[in-house]
Amino acid sequence: MKAAPFAYVRPGSLDDVLAELAGGDAKVLAGGQSLVPVLAMRLGRPATLVDIGSVASLGDLAVTDDVLRVGATVRQRRLERSDEARAVPLIGMVMPFVGHRELRSRGTVCGSIAHADPSAELPAVASCLGATIEVAGTGGRRRVPAAEFFAGAMTTAATAEEVVTGVEFPVARPGEGYGFGEIARRHGDFALAGVVTRVRVDDDGTVLDARLTGFGISDTPVTRDVTALLDDESGIRDLAADVVDTGGDTHGSTGYRRRLFTVLATRELQRARRNARKERP
Amino acid sequence: MEAHELVDVAFSVNGSSVSVSVPPRMHLADALREQLGLTGTHLGCEHGVCGMCTILVDGDAARACLLFAVQCEGAEIVTVEGLGSPERQHPLQEAFSHHHGLQCGFCTPGMLMSSYDLLANAPDHAGDDELPEQMSGVLCRCTGYRGILAAVSDVHGTHPDGVPGPRNCATRTLVGRGSGPASSQAPSGDVPADEVRAAAPAEVRIPTGAPSATVLVTSELRSPIAAVWEVVSDVSRLVACLPGAELTETLPGDRYRGRAGVALGPVKLSFEGLAQILDRDADAHRIRLVGQGRDTGGSATQADIRLHAEPGPDGGTVLRAEADLFLSGRIAQFGRALAGDVSRRLFEQFASAVDESARTGAVPDVRVAAPSPVRIAAGAVADAVRRRVRALRARLRRR
Ligand SMILES: Cc1cc2nc3c(=O)[nH]c(=O)nc-3n(C[C@H](O)[C@H](O)[C@H](O)COP(=O)(O)OP(=O)(O)OC[C@H]3O[C@@H](n4cnc5c(N)ncnc54)[C@H](O)[C@@H]3O)c2cc1C
Ligand code: FES
Ligand code: FES
Repeated sequence: MKAAPFAYVRPGSLDDVLAELAGGDAKVLAGGQSLVPVLAMRLGRPATLVDIGSVASLGDLAVTDDVLRVGATVRQRRLERSDEARAVPLIGMVMPFVGHRELRSRGTVCGSIAHADPSAELPAVASCLGATIEVAGTGGRRRVPAAEFFAGAMTTAATAEEVVTGVEFPVARPGEGYGFGEIARRHGDFALAGVVTRVRVDDDGTVLDARLTGFGISDTPVTRDVTALLDDESGIRDLAADVVDTGGDTHGSTGYRRRLFTVLATRELQRARRNARKERP
Repeated sequence: MEAHELVDVAFSVNGSSVSVSVPPRMHLADALREQLGLTGTHLGCEHGVCGMCTILVDGDAARACLLFAVQCEGAEIVTVEGLGSPERQHPLQEAFSHHHGLQCGFCTPGMLMSSYDLLANAPDHAGDDELPEQMSGVLCRCTGYRGILAAVSDVHGTHPDGVPGPRNCATRTLVGRGSGPASSQAPSGDVPADEVRAAAPAEVRIPTGAPSATVLVTSELRSPIAAVWEVVSDVSRLVACLPGAELTETLPGDRYRGRAGVALGPVKLSFEGLAQILDRDADAHRIRLVGQGRDTGGSATQADIRLHAEPGPDGGTVLRAEADLFLSGRIAQFGRALAGDVSRRLFEQFASAVDESARTGAVPDVRVAAPSPVRIAAGAVADAVRRRVRALRARLRRR
């Protein structure tokens, strides 16, 4: 399967990238691990690919007291191997499940977020932690909270003429614990259902709050405050009925996905609570 | 660089500097095989799933089919040919042969390059418990993996801190296969064969068998049922409410020709199709139509759609849309549960457009973005509808 012909440009600055995207039928090429299959299958045939790989200012990976900032060209495997990533433990838990090693070598963190596949792990992490997505267009820059960024399957708050320049994940605080689990048909495949959890406890181990994000279960990641549901299995079942609304496909019915969600949510909330206690000084 | 222009790209392959002249759409695996004669890199799926084309780019394993050669300016590439030579095999190659890790050998180059990457870059993850997962990025159809895993495990045991480097990387002249770039690309000016418009099917066939996805959307509309029914039963207004759809011809027998477009991130499909109304029951406010369409990329869809309006609370209407979708061709491979979610979103927008049209009597403008294919779920309208639908769903369940 070969891509239809396209023009290829590799601008050296963000301004030039934005100029190339303006008006025309152009697409950003980051890691290409989702875009190239779409082109190869001829499900999309943009006139121009704008390769952002040479824009030096988009390659930052840095951690401050508050946030881990990942620039648009930072590849998933670079983040996975970095010391900076330790500031956000969920990233270490999740990264091995984002496709395979061979794909993470090229795929970018921001590309996964910009692509907004409802079964992808990184958009779910961004949602659960309340990350901020930086978007730039010819009209200027804006910062979009993850809760507003994912608008539907492969649809985001960024327009076709904008570029995601980076994402900021809040760094872990004392007393926070995390869980992650997914069920896929084979390792590295997109999940049939998955959850990301974060629980905060105080010095006595009392739960302050708990958050959960489900993915692969609707057309966007779905995040809920589940503080009241930590020990409430039937409450989690009701939650599954509420949030799992992806229709059935050959790999499983809606009911099956609800069952997966319930099991994963219960397990990963407990894991997060255990981690949180352990990490408490 | 224009689509049909050839681009000169210089990179290093197995230690030699080379330069190739490629069209932008040529992926690296083809450039290696066709222009440099390095046919050790195999191609299976050409969309990233099978791992046959795995090579090293700047030291890390990557899919050569998901990388355009034009992206590789200045890159350092190692292929299976660089790993070892018949006289000086790499320890991994020796181990594959010792443990019977190959039968037909088609996956072997990908397996070798993937396992090299694992042992060189992530030896901590090469223990026997993690090995099957770590090697799951390349698919083998013959050996059942056992020999392969045994071979990798063996080399990991003898080289726990990382494997020796590639053994066959040296400066040499790579001789191309001669076919050259010209034959792999239509000369500019010619219309490539794939530009030909998809022909709309001539007759409507009612789909049979199990659908790829079933969508059921219930929306609560503010307009009274009579006004809603007027919109739903009038095909030109009905089609106008469908995001991205356009009616092009009315045929005898309640049949219609039209066009529909969908855009989702990089995916953009445009269907030419035919629809037929099979059943219209004005008393029960039910309508059933079947449609089928074909995209230029060879994807086909068929849909069996039932719409049913019922009086709702507060003088409004509950509109129920049920659709069985049948997908084939490339879109089906891409589908997963996505097709159902996207269709559901479309129906939600459709319902809100019907409501608007029923209220105002006007033809709604659902063309959110020009040109014709519509960005699904752009803007607040869709989200408002969605919230309403969610709320309704929850209410229906509680009953
Ligand atoms: C076989 C296979 C299995 C996979 N399995 C998984 C999996 O299990 N989990 C998972 O999460 N992912 C999976 N992926 C996808 C992979 O993680 C992609 O790398 C990722 O989704 C997209 O990142 P990219 O950098 O490759 O983006 P690209 O493919 O380059 O781009 C994808 C889309 O996002 C747009 N885009 C990219 N970057 C930007 C930007 N900075 N600003 C604006 N728009 C942008 C592009 O225009 C395009 O529309 C898989 C891919 C393959 C081929
Ligand atoms: S040919 Fe590249 S992954 Fe299948
Ligand atoms: S040996 Fe035949 S595919 Fe693996």
